[in-house]
Amino acid sequence: MFDENTIQNLLWLLIVLPFLSGTLSLLAGRRMNSRAGGVAAALTLIGLVLSVVVATQTGTHVLTFHTDWLLIPGRAVPITFRLDALTWLMLIIVHFIALLVQIYSISYLHDERDRYRYFGFLSLFIGSMLGIVLAGNLIVLYAFWELVGLSSYLLIGFWFQKPAAAAAAKKAFIMNRIGDAGFLLGIFLLLFQSGTTELTELSDLFVSNGPLATLTGFCLFCGCIGKSAQFPLTTWLPDAMEGPTPVSALIHAATMVAAGIFLLARIHFLLTPDALLIITGIGTITMLMAAYSALYQTDIKKVLAYSTVSQLGLMVIGMGTSNVTGALFHLTTHAFFKAGLFLAAGSVIHGVHTQDMRQMGGLRKAMPLTFVGWAVCAAALAGIPFFSGFLSKETILTGAFGWAGAQGGLAYSIPVLAVLSSGLTACYMARQGQLVFFGSYRPADPVGSAPVHESGPMLTAPVLLLAVLSIGFVFSGNPFSAEQSWFFRLFPAVGDHGGHLWIALLSISVVVVGGWLGWRMPVSTQSTSLSRLSEHNWYLDGFYKRLIVRPFVRLAYLSYGFDRRVIDKLVDFAGIGTVVLAHMIGWADRMIVDGLVNGASWLAHRLGNLTRSVQNGRVQSYIASAVVGLLVILWFLI
Amino acid sequence: MLSSLLFIPLLGSLLVVLLPDSRKNVYKWITLVACSLELLVCGAVYAVFDPAQADYQLLERFDWISLPLGSLGVVSIDYLVGIDGISLPLVLLTGAVMLVGALSSWTIDKRLKAYHALYLLLTATIIGCFIALDFFLFFLFFEFMLLPMYFLIGLWGGPRREYASIKFFLYTLAGSVLILLVMISLYLSVMDPVETAINIGLIGDRSEITDDIMRQVQFLLADYKIQSQQLVHTFDLRYMAHGGNYLPDSFLGPTGEIVIFGLPSRMLAFLCVFLGFAIKLPVVPFHTWLPDAHVEAPTPVSVVLAGVLLKIGGYGFLRIGWGLFPDGAAEYALLLAGLGVISIVYGGFNALAQSDLKKMIAYSSVSHMGFVLLGIASLTSEGVNGAVYQMASHGVLSAMLFLLTGVLYDRTHDRRIDSYRGLASTMPAYTALTAIAFFASLGLPGFSGFVGELFTLMGSFQSLWLPGWMTAVATLGIILAAAYFLWTLQRMFFGPLWSRTEFTGQLTDLTARERLMLIPLAVLALLLGLFPNLLFNLSNATVAQWIQRFSVE
Repeated sequence: MFDENTIQNLLWLLIVLPFLSGTLSLLAGRRMNSRAGGVAAALTLIGLVLSVVVATQTGTHVLTFHTDWLLIPGRAVPITFRLDALTWLMLIIVHFIALLVQIYSISYLHDERDRYRYFGFLSLFIGSMLGIVLAGNLIVLYAFWELVGLSSYLLIGFWFQKPAAAAAAKKAFIMNRIGDAGFLLGIFLLLFQSGTTELTELSDLFVSNGPLATLTGFCLFCGCIGKSAQFPLTTWLPDAMEGPTPVSALIHAATMVAAGIFLLARIHFLLTPDALLIITGIGTITMLMAAYSALYQTDIKKVLAYSTVSQLGLMVIGMGTSNVTGALFHLTTHAFFKAGLFLAAGSVIHGVHTQDMRQMGGLRKAMPLTFVGWAVCAAALAGIPFFSGFLSKETILTGAFGWAGAQGGLAYSIPVLAVLSSGLTACYMARQGQLVFFGSYRPADPVGSAPVHESGPMLTAPVLLLAVLSIGFVFSGNPFSAEQSWFFRLFPAVGDHGGHLWIALLSISVVVVGGWLGWRMPVSTQSTSLSRLSEHNWYLDGFYKRLIVRPFVRLAYLSYGFDRRVIDKLVDFAGIGTVVLAHMIGWADRMIVDGLVNGASWLAHRLGNLTRSVQNGRVQSYIASAVVGLLVILWFLI
Repeated sequence: MLSSLLFIPLLGSLLVVLLPDSRKNVYKWITLVACSLELLVCGAVYAVFDPAQADYQLLERFDWISLPLGSLGVVSIDYLVGIDGISLPLVLLTGAVMLVGALSSWTIDKRLKAYHALYLLLTATIIGCFIALDFFLFFLFFEFMLLPMYFLIGLWGGPRREYASIKFFLYTLAGSVLILLVMISLYLSVMDPVETAINIGLIGDRSEITDDIMRQVQFLLADYKIQSQQLVHTFDLRYMAHGGNYLPDSFLGPTGEIVIFGLPSRMLAFLCVFLGFAIKLPVVPFHTWLPDAHVEAPTPVSVVLAGVLLKIGGYGFLRIGWGLFPDGAAEYALLLAGLGVISIVYGGFNALAQSDLKKMIAYSSVSHMGFVLLGIASLTSEGVNGAVYQMASHGVLSAMLFLLTGVLYDRTHDRRIDSYRGLASTMPAYTALTAIAFFASLGLPGFSGFVGELFTLMGSFQSLWLPGWMTAVATLGIILAAAYFLWTLQRMFFGPLWSRTEFTGQLTDLTARERLMLIPLAVLALLLGLFPNLLFNLSNATVAQWIQRFSVE
């Protein structure tokens, strides 16, 4: 066992390495183009090895490390690392998938002019994500949380010349910011109630009941709503598919969007029953709506994006029903099979140069390796026995039924809707398989299009590796129950998660029906109001545009108009009023004050004239006046 | 040492005036050298400053004016300068921003002599405001600052420069009148315990003063034992901040119950001072001079205006408004914080509506300065530290933002956002630095803006004076900031390259001089964001002492 100092230094190294590599890559510029990917992947490999080392050192212990950061009188925010089983599990997942994605990207973006920028941003993302995973203090977690938002922004907008990409990037950041504002208020509420944001101290101090605690829990959950694209902040994630496909695999499927689930796991002990009920409800709405939206998409990535939203909803249901282990289990399996699906989709796009599934078809022959990888991952997603997704989904469903049993009544609607959504999942995945890999090839330009080839090993190997990790036996020896899996030994579950045969049978039969329906869905469906509802994702975007974006912008213009026409005019009027007053005073000055002065001077003038006329220089008159004066004086004296 | 901060730019200014016009290429070098020296001295001050000490340091004092007025006591105005943990960050900021502004002034090409002389004069007056500890001296600098500023906007500005400069001048002057009134009433209400002790024979000269003697004088004062002829009135801010130095029954005495316009005199005085500095900060609804001044001012003047001048408002709040009238600040905490929140949200909405880049940044300044007011009004350690931090941070970032605007304006003389699209394709370095400045300004962790906003919001939420919903409304500001900055980024820099045809070929990337101005500021913002204790260490002790006057027993 290493001593704590060594471990702390290792953790620092883990975070600093990717930031360093990212900064270097960005500063070096195009000179780095050819090497950026290799260097970044090498550093990620080092990180992966270090994570495994840290994992072996930690096991199921909980370690915390503090480094002073912000210190003012009365408030200290240290950078705290929390190292437990969840931490190192996430460290390994993030590093592992990041490594695969980086290797994949070296080939996938080979012709890209600005690869240094791509790999630089990717490294920034890895560093920020590791920060979230390691943070043991909610403020530190929040800081990295926002940084992840930045790297997501930069990567979605990587092809900034495309207006759609630029718009999607902005939308992602702003929608995340909305969630984050709630998250921040939640942190303040915690601070207000218990005086700390340290997770370890909170678990001792925080009393989680009462409406204030529910409000706190809900505010914190807002962070998850933003980052994990839960209802109502769903719509940024499908748009985020404008980014390069490997980015979608890493950030918008496997890791960043799972950060919301991770957050819920970290703060689960703070959540009151009421807060959990809200969370469960939102998870269910999200899962069902997104699964339906995936149904009629024609873009290969959009299907996967909506599927991700839907699966995140399932994980949120797991958290809401206090089935932390189940939710984390699904997070893990989902990270592998969804990354695999995205990378497989990338491989397909690489081959056919389109994302429109209507222009694909029959690719299983041209791209056999990609097909096999896709099929395994899709089976896992659909929840077919012997694949990882089956195990984890069963765990959540079982937990949800157990929770509903305890709550009784209406609560049963939640597991039932979840089962229904899993049927939809099977349906849209079967449809995707049918459209992409079966039938015959339908290129947009049948004459001019070149024959499709399988992608190179740097694209297929990561897909296949992820497919292998999506097989059920990787997680549990018993293909029908996760009870004995290593995962449950690591994260002991509370409550009943046993393999209830009827739940398994129910979900399998729903999956079969769903899959069969999806398989039978025609290539080009006639547009009905129901299909349009799905295609346009319940018209949420239009709704937001009309209800929120436009009123906000209008308010901005109104407020500016007010500023110009009212406040500034008042100032101008005050100015003009002063000038007018000045003129009036000036007039008064000329007419009255000056008039008086002028009058006075006129008077003096006349008097002067009068007296001057007396002093006329004639001696006789002087003598005469002197005599008169003398007589007067004498008169008075006598 | 502090005096040299005043004399370096003044001497530089004099030198510029004395040199003949034939030497006009030297002017910009004089400005640059003077500002570099200034920054060096700031660095030295930073090195000498003892952050553990809460009181004023590096004091320099000379008797300046001393005039016996019979029964009115003795008028004494001192030349008194010194710094503490609140002013030091701002002094450092001034040093840095003025140097960057000097570099940016190289593009000025008309009436060089007047420009550089005024610029250096401006530097001296701004520094003077931050280091003066005598209210009269402070007010002198505060007023004198208007003169160079008025001409810098009015002579070198854009098309509506006359309107903007007069508006700026009159607006600020109106504020100063209020401050002047309060200054005089304060003067009449406060005694200088040291000089008074000498006058009544307790001590022989200043060096013999001890805390005991001060207390003794204050007791005598409170017991009406000192005759008015022997009282020495003072403008010394240190004495004004101490309740014991107020004459009993005087106009602004702490116990005085004089009521004017239905308000106790001290409350009224507080509101007057607040208004005076609120115009400077600026606080909505006294902000409309700012967008006009910014739009018309030449780039370096905008940099100085946003970078440091606005901070004098915040500094005035801390030192004079809140510092001398804690009772008023506590009484009106809700109103003041409310104005702060209004500034944050209103400024944000207005920024969103702008089509002129510079105006957008001007309104974003209004929004960011709202955080300063909110933090100070919270009367908490987090809030006040955060406010000081936010001022320093905004100084760096707004300087950077206005320089970036200037880069574009120098090339095309067009600042309208919709005149450009996809600039990232042709000006990558410019785009990168703009993105850094935008993200830092919208409060991205890792940059300085985050810490300031986090702490001011945290302070307002923890505050006993403020309700929680205020903070909730204020967080709308951080969402709006993301919206207006990212929308601008999207409209101007992303998408396919497009601009008005007459600009083709003019949109070249940053020059070496521009990089030299921008990169240090970006690094500074990053450093402050990563190691916030660099700054908090300076302000901690002083703020801790400052906040004590609001502690609730």
